[in-house]
Amino acid sequence: MKKIFAMIARFWRVFNKPSKHISLGIATCVAFLAGVIFWGGFNTALEATNTEAFCISCHSMRENNYQEIQGTIHWSNRSGVRATCPDCHVPHKWTDKIAAKARASKDVFGWLLGTVDTKEKFEEKRLELAQNEWARFKANGSLECRNCHDYKSMDFEKMSERARVQMRGAAERDQSCLDCHKGIAHHLPEMDTTAISQLGKMAQDLDGRSFDVGSEYYTLVQTPIYATDDATQDIGVLSPATKFKVIGEEDKRLEIELLTWHKAKGYGRVLYFDFAKNIVQATLTKEASQDESLFVRGEQKEDDLTGLPWEQVTFTVWVDKRGFEDNLQNIWDYAQVTYHSTCSVCHAQPDENHFDANTWPGMFAGMQGFVNLDGDTSALILKYLQNHSSDYNKAAH
Amino acid sequence: MFNKDNKSNKETVSVSRRSFLKGVMATSAVAVIGPSLLAPKMAQAATMADRAEWKLTGSHWGAFRAKIHGGKVTEIKAFEVDKFPTDMLNGIQGIIYNPSRVRYPMVRLDYYLKREKSDTTQRGDNRFVRVTWDQALDMFYEELERVQQTYGPSGLHAGQTGWNSTGSFHNCAAHMSRAIAMHGNSVKKVGDYSTGAGQTIMPYVLGSTEVYAPGTSWPLILDNSKTIILWATDPVKNLQVGWNCETHDGMGYMYELQKKVADKQIRVISVDPVKNKTQNFLGNEHRYIHPHTDVPFMLAVAHTMVKENLHDQKFLDTYALGFDKFLQYVQGETEDKVEKTPEWASPICGVPAEEIREFARLITNGRTQFLFGWSIQRQQHGEQPYWMGAVLASMIGQIGLPGGGISYGHHYSSIGVPSSGAAGPGAFPRNPDPGQKQRYDSSDYKGGSRTIPVARFVDAILEPGKVINANGAKITFPAIKMMIFSGCNPWHHHQDRNRMKTAFHKLETVVAIDYNWTATCRFADIVLPACTQYERNDLDIYGSYRAKGLLGMKKLVDPLFQSKTDFQIFTELTGRWGVSKQYSQGKTEMQWLEELYNEARTANQPKWDMPEFAEFWKEGYFPFGDGVNWTRHADFREDPEVHALGTPSGFIEIYSRKIARFNYKDCKGHPMWFEKAERSHGGPKSDKFPVWMQSCHPNKRLHSQMCESTTFRETYTVQGREPVYMNSKDAKKRGIKDGDIVRVFNDRGQLLAGAVVDDNYPENVIRIEEGAWYGPIGAEIGSLDTYGDPNTVTLDVGSSELAQATSANTCQVEFEKFKPGKEYGGKVPAVTSFGGPKEVI
Repeated sequence: MKKIFAMIARFWRVFNKPSKHISLGIATCVAFLAGVIFWGGFNTALEATNTEAFCISCHSMRENNYQEIQGTIHWSNRSGVRATCPDCHVPHKWTDKIAAKARASKDVFGWLLGTVDTKEKFEEKRLELAQNEWARFKANGSLECRNCHDYKSMDFEKMSERARVQMRGAAERDQSCLDCHKGIAHHLPEMDTTAISQLGKMAQDLDGRSFDVGSEYYTLVQTPIYATDDATQDIGVLSPATKFKVIGEEDKRLEIELLTWHKAKGYGRVLYFDFAKNIVQATLTKEASQDESLFVRGEQKEDDLTGLPWEQVTFTVWVDKRGFEDNLQNIWDYAQVTYHSTCSVCHAQPDENHFDANTWPGMFAGMQGFVNLDGDTSALILKYLQNHSSDYNKAAH
Repeated sequence: MFNKDNKSNKETVSVSRRSFLKGVMATSAVAVIGPSLLAPKMAQAATMADRAEWKLTGSHWGAFRAKIHGGKVTEIKAFEVDKFPTDMLNGIQGIIYNPSRVRYPMVRLDYYLKREKSDTTQRGDNRFVRVTWDQALDMFYEELERVQQTYGPSGLHAGQTGWNSTGSFHNCAAHMSRAIAMHGNSVKKVGDYSTGAGQTIMPYVLGSTEVYAPGTSWPLILDNSKTIILWATDPVKNLQVGWNCETHDGMGYMYELQKKVADKQIRVISVDPVKNKTQNFLGNEHRYIHPHTDVPFMLAVAHTMVKENLHDQKFLDTYALGFDKFLQYVQGETEDKVEKTPEWASPICGVPAEEIREFARLITNGRTQFLFGWSIQRQQHGEQPYWMGAVLASMIGQIGLPGGGISYGHHYSSIGVPSSGAAGPGAFPRNPDPGQKQRYDSSDYKGGSRTIPVARFVDAILEPGKVINANGAKITFPAIKMMIFSGCNPWHHHQDRNRMKTAFHKLETVVAIDYNWTATCRFADIVLPACTQYERNDLDIYGSYRAKGLLGMKKLVDPLFQSKTDFQIFTELTGRWGVSKQYSQGKTEMQWLEELYNEARTANQPKWDMPEFAEFWKEGYFPFGDGVNWTRHADFREDPEVHALGTPSGFIEIYSRKIARFNYKDCKGHPMWFEKAERSHGGPKSDKFPVWMQSCHPNKRLHSQMCESTTFRETYTVQGREPVYMNSKDAKKRGIKDGDIVRVFNDRGQLLAGAVVDDNYPENVIRIEEGAWYGPIGAEIGSLDTYGDPNTVTLDVGSSELAQATSANTCQVEFEKFKPGKEYGGKVPAVTSFGGPKEVI
């Protein structure tokens, strides 16, 4: 041990000794010049690797990714601005760029070894490759997207209703673009379901099921609705655990009937489960809520507790065929377990029937921020609580 | 002597130089050849001090590193990430090491002899017998059995829970709740003592509890507000503590605000009877107002706003309901038929009429942010000032704008510091796992309610079967025979000690689980020693609302004496009926932590790349980074239909038909002025008891936590007593000097406290901070409290039939210089609060 110490100490002394032969000034100048030359060459080479031409010089890039982007808006659009490979895939900040280049050297090895030299091999690797890029975008908040698309410069008023709702929420949370916009420049990989919520999985398990015209089903996740069977017009979204009746079936879509109530004040854009109960079934665009061809008006009553007029409305709309549940209890069972486990993190969770249906949203709103619930699950738990509130469950508490 | 000292000094110098050089070399050597070769050698050369370990952990007072030497915590340093650590970190060591530690399982003397047939009037005499853990747990289990068999679930109340210690896994309330629920059902509570009235009224008005809701980010307030009204709030005092480990990031914005006040960029006004700590810190303006009279003041402000057309009618039309009905009341057309002019309010609230008008003009001139504290809802009719605040904010019309509108939480757990949005760890499950069978599954509450308002539990014990109104429901008090308190101290947070004593005479069995001998232990029958949070490993989110990082809480030292973790205690208890495996899910402490960590890790992927548990645990901290600015109610303002509030109508309810239909006398369809049962400055009972006593949250404790920390307590006590803060004129009038012991009293009780003369307090207003440990001389009703627990004299009535919350701040007293009479042998009685039980052998 002592020897090692002595050795290190000796080394340190030599290393630390001032030079006898070259002045400090000369040493510094030489080092500086060497640095300049190296730096210039390095950067020139680096820039060369930053061109689209370099990227598609490799076979798999040219045959796969490069072909795929050509069908997208990032390739060809009315304003003639094109995003090339490095715009999205090379960080613009120098230190990040170097790190990205270092990582990309792996791709060069892959190219040398032929890791993805056939279409099949590329498809096999697609998910892994995509996930690497997704993780990078997630970590930097989709910085490369936002070099062009900036929340601050978005005019929400010019967006469609649905986009406005989604984008505004995303902007408030400063959400990463790729959270929602995956597969917009290249094809989406085949994915397993590990990344989606338990409710999403329940829906996925029911995918491809058959439907009986005249029967009733329930949504598991938020589900877009359309005015027509060709789904050209997106008119709103159903919330989880919403009941609908199938009245027609096409190849890809179902025609459904929604028996609901809305407030006959404002646009009546929110459809509710029951008269004077704020249990949300669907949210509509302004246009759809005013489109008399989509719904039939029913009974009108004033809610005595708020003085607001309510109206029964029956909407006929279309949804994509998805995993819908025919047994509501299955959904409630899941909601109950989640409520009891998740909502007891901070305190004893109140009994479901401790509050009435219209008090629950207020109680829930204050607490939801403390638990890790995705949007679907959070909407479902609230709905579960409202449906099992003192309005519907009179048992003593 | 001199020579010897000199020599040893030299030695110290040379040793330290050598060890310094060695340190330098070791550092470079380690970098080259790795640590393993050198470590043992270096260890041998280390001095005693070098051998001490530093460990990172957290608390309600913030994160800190503790030096462990000789198996003891010897030094505490704030976590370097904390830029504004609280002075209270100096009290941590005293929580671990103090004479009040619960050392052994103890049983009250007469209970030990006669069990449930014991003489309960002896409760509070503090005579206890030491028993073994097995004896204590057997007794606990036998009582659970007896009560379930004899009375069923209504006989047991195990739902009174409090602040406990920090940590996701070792949450004592969760452990107790799960274990007891695995045995059988019991009575539960709703609400809490902090915000009982506020959290009940606000869902009707603004659609959420508001008190616990995230608030507009401080940077937006500082950038946009022209005026900030601090309404009965003292953030500089209260931001010292947090529900989870506190980051103190909120304090950073207090410093920024201080600068903006000095530069006259933001006008800040404290509406408060007292010049509070925040006002003294910020150097802002003071709007004095008589205690309890916020509502008359606000009504007159509303009257002026309408009269001078300062209100935003368009906002009210678009976003609110029922302003017309409220206006009729203000204009004297309904209810008491009195017009709520500034001239009407002035004699009640003590503010000149013209100043009320000026206030109305001020808050409607430019962006105004209201920040409300919690004290004014902890009073009789505490729902009203909160509701009325929302009405004023609606009339101003800036709800949903950055730097405008109203918040009820910016003094709490750094609400308003932009949140990272990261997910924290979950917790030990509070409920039995799905499908688990209870030992007793009866849900027969024998006509009693299974859930009662938290602050009405003493009423329930005193009057079983009585029916009361609460939040639209009829509550029938269950016949409670047994109570279990874990990490919860109702003998600090509940009101009117002598009434509590009477009630506790009616209980057959009381179990307390705690680490320090609180007054709740004193009034219990079976006391179990839990260890402190510094004697177990845990995880916590760093910053409740801030989510600044994930904190590993390292066990600093082994559990002292015979104390155990709650996990261990309840694993052993549930073993009594054979379900300890189900209780613990067969996992150890560290397995639980790893599981909770992994859940958080998954939830945070891929935005945060958290390391494997082992790596995290070594480091002890994972930062989530900065948050994003956010404005409360901005979505509602943008689209009130889709982002409807959680109120019955989805709009701001200035008039609530729902509340009006409850037909309560003391909480009607819109905010109103109700006279209090007692009130200072000419109000009821002020002739006999002229002084209002406020019992707000303490400056140097977290409620009653840390009161036992001896050395730290001595930094603020007066002759060993809790301070009572008073105006110099009030003191002089009574012949009291700073430092005197005074007796504070009313018809309900009496206490001793130490006078601090301080003109931040107006005349006829005194403060004794809640959380001062109750220390009666004896068990008898009316016994003098020797230390200064304000709840010895507070009023125990529900805030109203709506919330039935605590009314602790409605309290009139008188005080005098204490002259010990014959009953005390002419001597000031010693403080009895600390030092644990009197052990009888």
